Amino acid sequence: MTASVDLADFLPAYLAEAEELLGAANRHLLAVEASVRRGIPLPRAVRELFRALHTIKGLSAMVDVEPIVSIAHWMETSLRHADRAGGRLPESSVEPLMEGLREIEQRVRQLAAGKQASPVPPGLLERLEALEAVALGTAPAKPAPVPLELEATLAARLSAAEREQLTTGAGPGRRAVRLDFVPNAERAARGITINSVRERVAKLGETVKVLPLSGPAAGGGSLTFALLLLTDAPDAALVEAAGGEPATVHALTATAPGPVPAPEPELPPSLVEEEPEEQRRGGGTLRVEVSRLDEALERLAALVVNRSRLTRAVADLTAAGAPTRELVAILQENGRQLRDMRAAIIRLRMVRVGDVLERLPLLVRGLRRSTGKAVRLELAVGDAELDKAVADRLLPALVHLVRNAVDHALESPEERRAAGKPEEGLVRLACDARSSGLLDILIEDDGRGVDARAVAARAGMPVPQTMDALLEVLCRPGFSTRDAATATSGRGMGMDIVRRIIVDQLGGELRMETRPGAGTAFRLRVPLTITLLDALVFECAGLRYAVAVGSVEELIEVDPARLVRSPGGGSGGAVTLVERRGSAVPVLALETLLGRQRPDGRGGPGAKALVVRQRGEPVAFAVDRLLGQQEIVLRPLEDPLVRVPGVAGATDLGDGRPTLVLDLATLGAARNGAASSLAPGSGRERAT
Amino acid sequence: MPEVLVVDDSKVMRDMVVACLRPYPGLTFTHASSGLEAIERLSLQPYDLLVLDLNMPDIGGIEVVEFVRSQDRLRHLPIIIVTTRGDETSRTRALEAGASRFMTKPFTPDAILSEARGLLEEKRG
Repeated sequence: MTASVDLADFLPAYLAEAEELLGAANRHLLAVEASVRRGIPLPRAVRELFRALHTIKGLSAMVDVEPIVSIAHWMETSLRHADRAGGRLPESSVEPLMEGLREIEQRVRQLAAGKQASPVPPGLLERLEALEAVALGTAPAKPAPVPLELEATLAARLSAAEREQLTTGAGPGRRAVRLDFVPNAERAARGITINSVRERVAKLGETVKVLPLSGPAAGGGSLTFALLLLTDAPDAALVEAAGGEPATVHALTATAPGPVPAPEPELPPSLVEEEPEEQRRGGGTLRVEVSRLDEALERLAALVVNRSRLTRAVADLTAAGAPTRELVAILQENGRQLRDMRAAIIRLRMVRVGDVLERLPLLVRGLRRSTGKAVRLELAVGDAELDKAVADRLLPALVHLVRNAVDHALESPEERRAAGKPEEGLVRLACDARSSGLLDILIEDDGRGVDARAVAARAGMPVPQTMDALLEVLCRPGFSTRDAATATSGRGMGMDIVRRIIVDQLGGELRMETRPGAGTAFRLRVPLTITLLDALVFECAGLRYAVAVGSVEELIEVDPARLVRSPGGGSGGAVTLVERRGSAVPVLALETLLGRQRPDGRGGPGAKALVVRQRGEPVAFAVDRLLGQQEIVLRPLEDPLVRVPGVAGATDLGDGRPTLVLDLATLGAARNGAASSLAPGSGRERAT
Repeated sequence: MPEVLVVDDSKVMRDMVVACLRPYPGLTFTHASSGLEAIERLSLQPYDLLVLDLNMPDIGGIEVVEFVRSQDRLRHLPIIIVTTRGDETSRTRALEAGASRFMTKPFTPDAILSEARGLLEEKRG
């Protein structure tokens, strides 16, 4: 009997886990760097960084990626010495370690692209190896003389670094404690396990060590986990985090004396954000390859299409007079089940925005070095989540906007000082998930703002009068406000790419506000998911189309007698308006935008209209008739030859005929000029 | 039906170990992502084989081995260490602590299967 498994089959899973480990390693190294700057050791971050690299090394060895094994090996060697030195790392070590991580990352990407991993770059291993001596030469600082009240047998199980962490970590307002958790089968059945206790306790303090102790335990158990912590949380909160009694808390060090404990020095937000998060791996989380989720989605898509066919068949039977009452009831139940399954699959595909953005601090760090600018990055992303497919497309746009903010928007420290601003510039990224299935993202800076006159001069056109018009110019392909391409922001990759991603690929919205001297804010709105949608299906000029329900603000009737033609705005074109609850909304004939004519040759807007927001303003798109609402699986049209602005993709409604899924806001904006020239009748139609 | 507890903080590595051992008939597998979780599971349920990584959060594999060998009930539980730390010190420490076998990553599927088979059949007598 031999094992027929080929470990190379694990390459996709390896790549997914390596990505995750590299994300964690970057976070920990940034935290270590911040601590080095403050002259404070951060032993936990050093240990976690070491572990991440160690795991990468082991996995890489299993799938036979020798260059990564070598780089990770020499990085972990230097970190092991830093760990022995109580988490102290010389500042000169940070850059070679960053370089090592970048090189590993590059090789992971090569493998993901189906290429061979490049050999180790010349000199890197020597540079990493040289770190060993530097780290060894670092003398550990003397710990503060806080005695540790811990039984000798337990104290003996702590490393010198852990003992030092406990004694020096306790201080004003923070004490070292031992929290005892007793596991048993009944608690495990309720989900109270050492993993869940560790996660809860991590929110209340810093876990230095967990020691398993066998022997009679409180509550009749035979095993106790002693969690040694640094915390400022009250005993009751700690006991509750450990599942309540029989958990107990004992102080290992006294809180520092003094009438009023001095507060912990407050760290600047950038440092707070760079502190290592408690490790999120393991526990109740299961990692799944994206390809498996895609497969589940494919299966669901087939079910959705089949259900549409079934619905059609039942409708035909009903029309033919067959008794279909029970069939209809089953179909309705089936519809509910499919919706539930759809929601479950969408939840599976969701990733935390915070995880998606974990590379940004590293990016800003690199930009700080390359531009010489002082920058603080603030991330306020909360617990917002979005579909992995959206996240993958969105990230390059966010990276570009942040890069632009640092490279173009923020002034040099000297310029800022001269302008009466703090030397350190601010780039802030905030997210807010809306209940309507959209994610709002704000990226703002306190830099110099966009100079509309300079933009106009460079573009060779009149000065834009509105923010949208200014953004329009900035988003022209290849447009750059820089005379010379820089290493970080060249001419080739500009705002046109950002807009293409946000608007064309994701069907989202991109807006900008800027004030000269005060800064610029980009507001993005993207759908949380783009694969499974609730769609409105309608007919226009003899063809069927679909549009995402979430993008439609309202459905209105269009009464031709109540249409008003107003004189046009700034460009001189006339605008057809429809009344909506006392206010006038521009109305566009969709068949005109699509360049189609009705089979009967009739002109003018259709009887119904879908109101959507276009650049923040309502615009009505008139269609002939609504056919209903149903869930669809959006198939993106990836081929550049068939990709058209305003067409989000295609879907199968169950009858085998492909149906285009429209993005009306983009369609309206893209066909603005065309709409004017093709408008029926004497009046010219255009969106405002 | 022999129960195997596979302990590694890397899910991919646990999956690889399971895939390598799967050809052995009748094995069932439990995963643990840390040494602490392994100790908790071992205190709650019997296992026939422990496959253990050395480098894990909070407590390492050596400490898990020491804990296991300090328990009468677990004194004879076969333990295979699978580790990236191939140095002689780690090997000696693991074997002195009571590990039954010591394998360094990368290992081949046949090698770990053969070790597991030997230990399980030895245990069965």
